[in-house]
Amino acid sequence: MKQHWISLALAGLIAAGASWADSGTLIRATPLKQKPLLDAATVSELPANSRLNIVARKGAWMQVKTASGQSGWVKLLNVRTGSAGSGGGGGLGTLGKVITTGSSGTTVTTGVKGLSAEQIENAKPNFAELDKLKQYQVSSGSATSSARQAGLGAQSVPYVAYTRGSASGSNTDATSPMNRRP
Amino acid sequence: MKQNLISLALATLLVAPLTHALDLGKLVDELNKNPDLVNAVSGAVQNTIDANRTIGPKEEAAIGDGLAANLLGAAPLVNDAALQRYVNQVGAWVASRSEAPNLSWRFGVIDSPNVNGFATPGGTILITRGLYQKLNDEAELAGVLAHEISHVLLHHHIRAIQAGKGREAMGNALQGFASYKQGDTARQIGANALSGMSEVFVRGLDKDDEYEADIRGMALAARAGYNPYALVSVLQALSAINPADGTVQLMFSTHPAPNDRLNKIDQVVGDKLERYATGAEETQRFYRLK
Ligand SMILES: [Zn+2]
Repeated sequence: MKQHWISLALAGLIAAGASWADSGTLIRATPLKQKPLLDAATVSELPANSRLNIVARKGAWMQVKTASGQSGWVKLLNVRTGSAGSGGGGGLGTLGKVITTGSSGTTVTTGVKGLSAEQIENAKPNFAELDKLKQYQVSSGSATSSARQAGLGAQSVPYVAYTRGSASGSNTDATSPMNRRP
Repeated sequence: MKQNLISLALATLLVAPLTHALDLGKLVDELNKNPDLVNAVSGAVQNTIDANRTIGPKEEAAIGDGLAANLLGAAPLVNDAALQRYVNQVGAWVASRSEAPNLSWRFGVIDSPNVNGFATPGGTILITRGLYQKLNDEAELAGVLAHEISHVLLHHHIRAIQAGKGREAMGNALQGFASYKQGDTARQIGANALSGMSEVFVRGLDKDDEYEADIRGMALAARAGYNPYALVSVLQALSAINPADGTVQLMFSTHPAPNDRLNKIDQVVGDKLERYATGAEETQRFYRLK
């Protein structure tokens, strides 16, 4: 058992690897919880825009360390990573330009066409490789028994409704009424 | 020049009912003098009609196979049978929990350091080695695959091709279907039409398509027994990559910024799926790629 815990911890360390020094920013004021549970004790109330070091993730929660050295858990969705922080726009604005075509409301983002875009544009179909891909296909029966062996169980989960055209807030195109669908 | 003449002729044809019969007569005269133009015009009209109609599952599958072959022409599969089998086991399991469990679902990891994923109509899904290497556990892989599976279920790429630049190419492909011999129809589509339709992977989908795939994909991953919030972790990892990094340029130019996707998930899903957050994250079978 102890052996198991050590290898688990080790695996965790290895897995954490690159994300070891990751940091994030709170997008809203959030309680720092002692455990990844809503009814766990609150360590402190963290204000919006607090910088956090990311320690681990579990379920809908993220284990963090604050600048003042406090440790605890916050909801994953309250944290944004990257230099953009709570800005939400990422770095896309510096890269590309959003073009909206009025009639269809279709938004495409153009910008630096990296090598891979050119590779796709200039590609010739490789059907031999497609045949290879087909050989790896598995039946849903095989996938189901493999999943069961891996400890996975089916759940009954309804889809969360999404209303198209509700794109709002942080999007560069949100100000254009042409881009909203009825 | 020929292109110009065609559009001119087309435009004239379209407004023809409103114009004087004499003008139409002039056009017919013009067309009679130039038989090539007649063929070009009727071909273009026919292709436009074809590109507008509903695409059946067989046609979708053939177009998807052709598009997958094109992507594989840009980057072949990672030469690692165990990896490819593993990704198919996870992907087929997630897809089996969808409303279309009997589609021909196939999954592959392609050998590119770029971070990206591609869904093709009919159920073939490819993710890059660069993206795979960012994933920490099976729930994150399931989250990524569930996003791509959702694009297939919602016919996002076929519709984007129909509405966009690949429209004429698809018209050409569809017009050919009637004359295709039985068997491997994807090979009969032709490289030019495939190339035209592949433009969708360079231009990207509608932002709503991406948000919808994220949100439906989370529920799908939960149905397969995974923590649906693993997708949030993937998007946070993508957000931490410098956008100037060449490996993310195509993905960032064809998708909303990761933080925009996180904001949308925050707004639409929020805590609605938290009762499934105790789902699986790490599995023993997770295949680590060095
Ligand atoms: Zn997508």
